[in-house]
Amino acid sequence: MKHYDIIVIGAGNGGLTAAATLVNKGKNVLLLERHNIPGGCATSFCRGRFEFEVALHQLSGMGTPAKPGPLRSTLQRLGVLDQLEPIPMEDLFRLIIPGQIDMTLKPDRADIIRTLQKRFPDEKTSIETFFDLTYNFFTQVISVMYLNDPEATPDKYPLYFKYALKSAKEVLDSLFQDPLLKTLLSPYWTYIGLPPSKMAFTELAAMFFAFIEFLPFHLKGGSQTLSNAIADKIIERGGDIRFNCGVKKIIVQDNQVKGVITDTDEVIYTNWIVSNASKVATYIDLIGSEHIPQSVVKELKKSTLTQSAFTVYLGLECKPEAIGMTAATNFLFPHTDMEAVYERMKHREITDQDALVLSCYNLADQSFSPPGTCQVAIVTLKYGDTWLTVPPSQYAAEKYRVADAMIRVAEKAFPNIKNYIEEIEIATPLTHLRYLNHPKGSVYGFEHFIKNSELFIPNISHIKGLYGAGGSYGLCGFQPTLDSGVLTASKLLKDMGA
Amino acid sequence: MNEKILKQLEGYETVKADMETAEKYGADFNSEKGKVLEYIHRLHPATMRLKVSRIIQETPSAKTFRLVSQDGYLPPFQAGQYISIIFDISEIRTSRPFSISSSPTQTGYYDITVRRVENGLVSNYLLDTVKNGDTFESSGPCGTFVFNPIIHDSTMVCIAGGSGITPFMSMIREITDCGLDRTVYLFYGNRELKDIIFHEELTRISNDFLNIFYIPVIENVSKDFTGACGLITSQLLNDTLKKHSNKSFFLCGPQGMYDFCLPQLDHLGIPKRKIRQEVYGPSVDIFDYPGWPKEIKKKDTFKISVKGRSAIKAAAGDSLLSSLEKNKILVPSICRSGGCSMCRVKVLSGKVFQPAGVPVRASDKQFGYVHSCMSFPVEDLEILV
Ligand SMILES: Cc1cc2nc3c(=O)[nH]c(=O)nc-3n(C[C@H](O)[C@H](O)[C@H](O)COP(=O)(O)OP(=O)(O)OC[C@H]3O[C@@H](n4cnc5c(N)ncnc54)[C@H](O)[C@@H]3O)c2cc1C
Ligand SMILES: Cc1cc2nc3c(=O)[nH]c(=O)nc-3n(C[C@H](O)[C@H](O)[C@H](O)COP(=O)(O)OP(=O)(O)OC[C@H]3O[C@@H](n4cnc5c(N)ncnc54)[C@H](O)[C@@H]3O)c2cc1C
Ligand code: FES
Repeated sequence: MKHYDIIVIGAGNGGLTAAATLVNKGKNVLLLERHNIPGGCATSFCRGRFEFEVALHQLSGMGTPAKPGPLRSTLQRLGVLDQLEPIPMEDLFRLIIPGQIDMTLKPDRADIIRTLQKRFPDEKTSIETFFDLTYNFFTQVISVMYLNDPEATPDKYPLYFKYALKSAKEVLDSLFQDPLLKTLLSPYWTYIGLPPSKMAFTELAAMFFAFIEFLPFHLKGGSQTLSNAIADKIIERGGDIRFNCGVKKIIVQDNQVKGVITDTDEVIYTNWIVSNASKVATYIDLIGSEHIPQSVVKELKKSTLTQSAFTVYLGLECKPEAIGMTAATNFLFPHTDMEAVYERMKHREITDQDALVLSCYNLADQSFSPPGTCQVAIVTLKYGDTWLTVPPSQYAAEKYRVADAMIRVAEKAFPNIKNYIEEIEIATPLTHLRYLNHPKGSVYGFEHFIKNSELFIPNISHIKGLYGAGGSYGLCGFQPTLDSGVLTASKLLKDMGA
Repeated sequence: MNEKILKQLEGYETVKADMETAEKYGADFNSEKGKVLEYIHRLHPATMRLKVSRIIQETPSAKTFRLVSQDGYLPPFQAGQYISIIFDISEIRTSRPFSISSSPTQTGYYDITVRRVENGLVSNYLLDTVKNGDTFESSGPCGTFVFNPIIHDSTMVCIAGGSGITPFMSMIREITDCGLDRTVYLFYGNRELKDIIFHEELTRISNDFLNIFYIPVIENVSKDFTGACGLITSQLLNDTLKKHSNKSFFLCGPQGMYDFCLPQLDHLGIPKRKIRQEVYGPSVDIFDYPGWPKEIKKKDTFKISVKGRSAIKAAAGDSLLSSLEKNKILVPSICRSGGCSMCRVKVLSGKVFQPAGVPVRASDKQFGYVHSCMSFPVEDLEILV
């Protein structure tokens, strides 16, 4: 009878850091992953002479050795920092609205303020106010939320109590007039999937704070390097990892986990499980309705799934300059009406009314692809439903058709991309569904409405011995999901009495 | 966070009301049960159960096996894709990829066409032993050797060698079945006239369709063959095509063919992005491969210690994957050409030879992972599977 102290299901960011934390504490850990490599979203794949980055556009929270961010310290504690080569990005982003604006911001508070003030002289003071507010507010968020000040009162943290439940739009509208300026200050909404009207100001502040204070980063070798480094550490410290080994059932008896059944019908016993599979997959598919606690049903009813993504990965036989690519991260927006852009995410079609994010990693790391070539990923968010209705027999043709349309839109700002394509791969919501096992291919877990934040749905254990880590148990993104594994593992260890 | 603090947040009542509404009217996700697997299965089943429904002798050394689904559903595929079939032969469990040679419009079955490989385990088994009604397990269709309308020119120059004709057969059949607006120049190299698979069908198609040009090329000059003889050279390509700027090139065949033909294309000035090449397994004779350590000979054997299991003996020249399979250590595999990373294992100590050009992720290299189907032990090894 096979038995482990702890079984971790899924080797995405959250699963990897959870397993690594547990192994570091001397636990006997088994990590099970369906795919043949670790990482989930944080992976890469090879086509011809290119290795394509699946997900990472900008890594937050890293910081430099001189001014380390929280992620750098986490990776240091996990013992993997030495194996990584983090490269700071020179630009925060370039934002293009054809015919209206084309501006590149640097990850430097003073520089951003100067650049914006020059372009929007009428709103000079508000620009300053916005960054003061963002910083001061987020400093209070850290004290209340992360440092858990038990004496938190409106007097002590006035900004926190005033703004914690405000939307990004409320704050932007209260300060600014020009829609272009508001758009320049909120393209990051596409990183969580809700337009400024629905996105919490906290999230916008968090991203600005993290990217400006600790710079956006790229990892040499891509995010797969990070996943491989953590996996390797787990093995080195005596943990077991099985790839190509999915879990199809979590055994529960009297509201206590007892073990798992793998896709090949092997039963492995344990009293402690961390699931990095999505919350829906974990409770609906792996546990099953007969064992779902009422508290979870309640949580699920409050939640809806985020978009999936449609991505075109391009290996180009040219340098970035040839297509006018000058920044590593680019937002190509049709106009300033983000509500309309959000509506577009409910349609499969890609037109010049969609918002695209383009990343060219070579601008962060020249050696990212062979000399004389570059790699570009073009992404847009699309709800999974838009693709689930495509008949299988038309799936391939539809992929080509939509990808072609997407490239044509991108060419409005980056001309002649098509002339240089050597390798191309297309990922639809169905691709994400297949590789991540997330319902509807959802890439950011549950929609991050204010009502769904950790304030109201904390990541707690509903079944004895069962813990969750990853994007559907809290915030999404690299830094938050990597953190989530560490936090979950610490909670588990505490409950274990270890 | 504790309720007391929450209640003092500005806007708390509104959020609370939102939450109560959602709780009342929201979905509990039970309708999602099994959905992910169902969607995956429609397009990319991890495994399929197939049955041989017909066997066609194509040439003295090649047969087509018509495969139908045992459970009634075959996912669609793109012309040029392959399936990986699992075999249990003399107590060895192994797999081999075979391109689908039938047209994607033919939804009732997949044809695979297999040519005998001297001393080959699976090809000989298929040709000599497999009969109607035999069943197999396979992967779903996979592979990226397909026509991509976004980047490929509508004129395709296809260069095939031996059994490498199969993906092109599927493409040509689709083009003619559907009347697609595409032109094909097929250069098909074989040693002897009698080896040419699909010779009659290709001749007929090229007579009937103005957009399909068939140029068989025979290596050994013979009296009863009036076509091109020798190898597929830049000269031959140039004479036939005249202009190459608006054409995409596709190659499928044994390593020897790539070694010869790729420089020919380079000579014609065809840019890399205009050339697609199917993976086709390790070189027939790895001992002649550029970079192979000359001191290691066929008779050499190595000890491979598999962590947590007993050690096995591996013959030089056998891939790490086949050595493991021969010793009943199962490692999943699909492409067996280094391209899919399914057979990834970690080398803890010792050296393997990996032919140039095998696409291994940079960080896999950093952490000692290799694709065992394209890794050949050249020392005693310690590995983790
Ligand atoms: C296109 C794209 C771009 C992104 N860009 C950025 C960015 O620039 N910056 C940023 O910070 N974030 C970005 N993200 C978000 C970030 O990648 C994710 O939030 C994060 O990687 C999610 O990690 P996770 O722990 O939730 O696990 P996931 O990555 O979701 O992985 C879950 C893992 O569990 C496995 N699994 C599931 N079910 C089972 C089972 N039953 N048995 C075994 N294994 C199972 C899966 O195979 C998978 O490996 C992006 C995401 C995408 C898709
Ligand atoms: C993507 C892909 C598609 C393929 N499609 C087809 C197809 O449509 N029809 C078909 O007949 N085969 C096809 N093959 C080759 C097939 O998978 C097997 O490799 C082949 O049948 C030999 O297998 P075997 O078990 O008989 O030989 P093995 O026992 O594996 O090998 C015996 C010896 O033959 C050499 N060898 C292996 N493969 C070949 C080869 N193709 N040509 C020459 N020598 C070889 C080996 O190096 C070894 O020395 C394809 C391979 C790939 C990677
Ligand atoms: S089986 Fe595909 S890389 Fe080895």
